[in-house]
Amino acid sequence: MTTVVVELRGCTRDYGAVRAVDALDLSVHESEFLALLGPSGCGKTTTLNLIAGFVPPTAGRVFLDGDDVTDRPPHLRGLGMVFQSYALFPHLSVRENVAFGLRERRVPAREIERRVGDALELVRLDRAGRQRPGELSGGMQQRVALARALVYRPRVLLLDEPLAALDKKLREGMRDELRAIQRSVGITTIFVTHDQAEALGLSDRIAVMNRGRIEQLGAPREIYEHPATRFVADFIGASTVLRGRAVANDRVAVAGVTLVVTSGALSSGADVELAIRPERVQLVPGGGDNVVEARVEGLVYQGAQTELTARLRDDQRVLALVTEPAPAPLEVGQTVRLHLPADAFMVLA
Amino acid sequence: MLATRDVKLALLPALVVLAVFAAALGSLFRWSFLEFVPGSLQTGGLTLANLRAVLAPQYLATIRDTVVLSALTTLLTLVAAYPVAYALARTPSRRVRSTILVLTLAPFFTGAIVRTYAWILVLGNTVITWPVPMLFTERGVLVGLVHFSMPTMILILAAALSHIDPVYERAATSLGASPARVFWRVTLPLSMPGIVSGGLIVFAWTLSAFPTPELLGGGKVKMIANVVKDLGALALTLALLAAVGRLTAGRAS
Ligand SMILES: Nc1ncnc2c1ncn2[C@@H]1O[C@H](COP(=O)(O)OP(=O)(O)O)[C@@H](O)[C@H]1O
Ligand SMILES: [Mg+2]
Repeated sequence: MTTVVVELRGCTRDYGAVRAVDALDLSVHESEFLALLGPSGCGKTTTLNLIAGFVPPTAGRVFLDGDDVTDRPPHLRGLGMVFQSYALFPHLSVRENVAFGLRERRVPAREIERRVGDALELVRLDRAGRQRPGELSGGMQQRVALARALVYRPRVLLLDEPLAALDKKLREGMRDELRAIQRSVGITTIFVTHDQAEALGLSDRIAVMNRGRIEQLGAPREIYEHPATRFVADFIGASTVLRGRAVANDRVAVAGVTLVVTSGALSSGADVELAIRPERVQLVPGGGDNVVEARVEGLVYQGAQTELTARLRDDQRVLALVTEPAPAPLEVGQTVRLHLPADAFMVLA
Repeated sequence: MLATRDVKLALLPALVVLAVFAAALGSLFRWSFLEFVPGSLQTGGLTLANLRAVLAPQYLATIRDTVVLSALTTLLTLVAAYPVAYALARTPSRRVRSTILVLTLAPFFTGAIVRTYAWILVLGNTVITWPVPMLFTERGVLVGLVHFSMPTMILILAAALSHIDPVYERAATSLGASPARVFWRVTLPLSMPGIVSGGLIVFAWTLSAFPTPELLGGGKVKMIANVVKDLGALALTLALLAAVGRLTAGRAS
């Protein structure tokens, strides 16, 4: 059993009539990299602020290493935080920014010197120490912010969408670097993001949030392959969800067709929801097992592929990605046959 | 973005004002090097005598007193205005903000003279009895000057403070700084532009303050503007006397 470093117990936070975080329970383990993943406004930042102590919970308790820190002011919690805008002090040099936390801890000057040097080396910025943050590129500022938050060896590292302000190319590079640094330092990390690819690629565990609650908590593969709810399935890219009724433990009737579903035992007669990723849906010329007819409602050409939206006979929506060039020209209004592989279905709880 | 031509056009009114102002100052400057003809507004030839006269000990003392008083006023105004400006810039409550704003702006509506007469009443032991003499002392003038400078200083500082993103203060807090340390290491340095511009404005206009030292100083506290007025009034009186004298003489003859 690993040590629990951060724990939220029944934490709720209201802003007026808005419930930003709703009775949240969460345990974060030693050296773990945990992502809080969810759409904008779902309460990720508020959750981070509850842990950091910037906002008090309306109800519930916050624990650090087993101690109740709910009433402890943020500057005494000993955490490190990287803000979405980096929040580097514009009036201080890079070195002074990184030294800030050490000076507040009254570390002797010689040791500050050494540790700031080490931290800047860790993020490969040992030569930018004299510069002002404003003179650095976004990626460099990001690394200074990371060095500043790590240099005093905080108990937990909190990252609020740290990559969101970078352009795509830089983001991917920083993602790998972030992960490497986190591994080498071995620090317990909570990472907020609305980007599922980022969460999948970086984390040991992902907490998918929706409306101030955690919808599902698990390893990236588990979340990806077995989304627990319609919301998680949709958020993680399985954007087609079909409602049906189980007619056997591996058969579901949807829109007048009986589909074979091999992923999970069903109880006959129950209403079920099946999620399927658009890239698993295939356009086929003829009939066969698990083939449904659908009317094309929308086509979005994307170069390498075309995103096809179609309606089943009972009006349920199916998304498919058709690799270009398409086997036959597609047109809105036309009827197509779609193959939904039996092992591609995810049965939602 | 405005085109350069539009910017130039927009600057035109300001340039006109500037030109008129520069002309006035320029002629005053020229006059300061012209010989003073007693009893007349006419001037004589070029001279450095006026400049030498200003460097006389009694005027130098006035200049020194004025600079000291202005510096003190600036410092005290900064200290007194900062907390109010901070509250104004940071309160989440609309009601608190408008209350502070109304109280801050209220003196603007009374005008300098009325306000100063009010201070004469307050400083003159009619409302409260002061342990030390206030009216007609430098202390009293200082109080009046600080009060006069407060609204402007509050507004300038509040503008500067509201431009500071609170995320910097959060960042400092997350790095282990107590609220006092956050203020000292982040808020105060980041508000420096407001401190500098507010300080300069207050210092500059206190240097040339007139009604406050005139009325609260009661002739015992002299700042530069008061001395200038005294001299100017004297010169005008002489010129007036001269004019009146010539008129009467003309009649008589
Ligand atoms: N300081 C605040 N005042 C009022 N409402 C807030 C405040 N902070 C967050 N909220 C509200 O709480 C909800 C969650 O916000 P947040 O935690 O910032 O979401 P996320 O970081 O996931 O985008 C949103 O509806 C937001 O409008
Ligand atoms: Mg956020």
